[in-house]
Amino acid sequence: MSDAFWQSVDLSLFWEYRQVLLAGLLFNVYVFACSAATALAVGLAAALLRVSRAWPFRWIGTVHVEVFRNAPDYIMIVWVHFVLPLLLGLLIGRRLEFHPFVSAVIALGFVYSGYFAETFRAGIQAVPLGHIEAARACGMAERLILRRVILPQVVRRMLPEAVNQFVSLFKATTIVSLIAVPDLMYNVSMVTAQEMRPLPLYTGAALTYFGVIWLAATGVRLLSERWRNKIYA
Amino acid sequence: MSNWERLVWNQRGVLLQGLAVTVEVCLIAFAVAIVGGLTLCLVRMYVRPLRPVAIALIEFFRATPIYVQLMWITYVWPELFGWPQSYFTAGWLGLGLQSSGYLAETFRAGIEGVARGHREAGYALGMSPLLVFRRIVMPQTLLTVAPSIVNQFTVIVKSSTLVSVITVQDLMFQAMKLVNVWYEPIEILTVTAAIYILFVFLLSTAGKLLADRMRRRYGLAAA
Repeated sequence: MSDAFWQSVDLSLFWEYRQVLLAGLLFNVYVFACSAATALAVGLAAALLRVSRAWPFRWIGTVHVEVFRNAPDYIMIVWVHFVLPLLLGLLIGRRLEFHPFVSAVIALGFVYSGYFAETFRAGIQAVPLGHIEAARACGMAERLILRRVILPQVVRRMLPEAVNQFVSLFKATTIVSLIAVPDLMYNVSMVTAQEMRPLPLYTGAALTYFGVIWLAATGVRLLSERWRNKIYA
Repeated sequence: MSNWERLVWNQRGVLLQGLAVTVEVCLIAFAVAIVGGLTLCLVRMYVRPLRPVAIALIEFFRATPIYVQLMWITYVWPELFGWPQSYFTAGWLGLGLQSSGYLAETFRAGIEGVARGHREAGYALGMSPLLVFRRIVMPQTLLTVAPSIVNQFTVIVKSSTLVSVITVQDLMFQAMKLVNVWYEPIEILTVTAAIYILFVFLLSTAGKLLADRMRRRYGLAAA
């Protein structure tokens, strides 16, 4: 027991492979950035559909949100990677294959767009009607109202919840290793297969993710609180 | 249409078996999460010397991705502690511990949300701290946090797809196995995804209804 304990505390093996593993971690960040951008864009679109005046649009938005909010990340990634290219291939009559990275970004982007859509919607609906009416009375176009009056307030209001969602999105990027995207977890399992010593490697990976996520989450939360206080005060 | 019959309907036994394993893992993990979360929360709030330990555990469980945690528990814990010995145990343990971190914070928010005057009124009537906790604090806490607990269960169900990676034979595992046998993923994966989405949708709808009812009946603002 104590032997195994010291072996797990001794993370030299993890350190030995630091270059490969760091490259993996950077890949995590890369996947995160791309899928976060996708999620924000698609989420905003879905939220606008949900508050639309025409019921078919509202309906599409609702279905989008309900499907993606209730879908497990892993099955969506697998589905996008294995099924979507086949379906699209049938549609255009050609064989199609997605790069694992593309599948990961699409899947995570769409799953998290469901969560972001709800956050956006709550923010949009919290904007007082008077503000919009005032903007209309000033002769602003609908587009301009959205950009100048609604969205700035939405962003401020949704910030704390968005931070939480960004954190869970980053955590979800670890499972992209399962479709062979070379992120930290993928490299860890590759090295484990070579060295046959899971103990230091998985412990190191767990501690690394914990450190990165905890620091990022705490830091961003502090920053966003300060920012909000400054603006509201 | 025959594809659907051959790939999905004729395999329904296997898929249902997988679904049963999924439900089993989720229920055990849920129980672990509630007991573990409550324990962590109480230790954090009332046991001074162990407080840093509880905070460290809560933060670790919350800030580590579930997949990483599952792999860590499955491959490192047996060497480190000689337990868990089976993948099934590792599966529910990983899911349960992750959620216990979240539930600990939920419980804490609930307990701190109980108005101070209620507790003081209990003391003024000569109730012991334990009795105050059991009769006054806990019932109110449970009411306010019930919807969040249901939500946490949906998170467990979603994360439970990952136990297939450590070869627990849940629905996801069986689906992937069928895909690897037939090399025809369209029908199987679509149906599997639909089952999961429907399952989680029903659970989260139940959570929403519960929250609405709590708010209407007890005037509680649910998180």
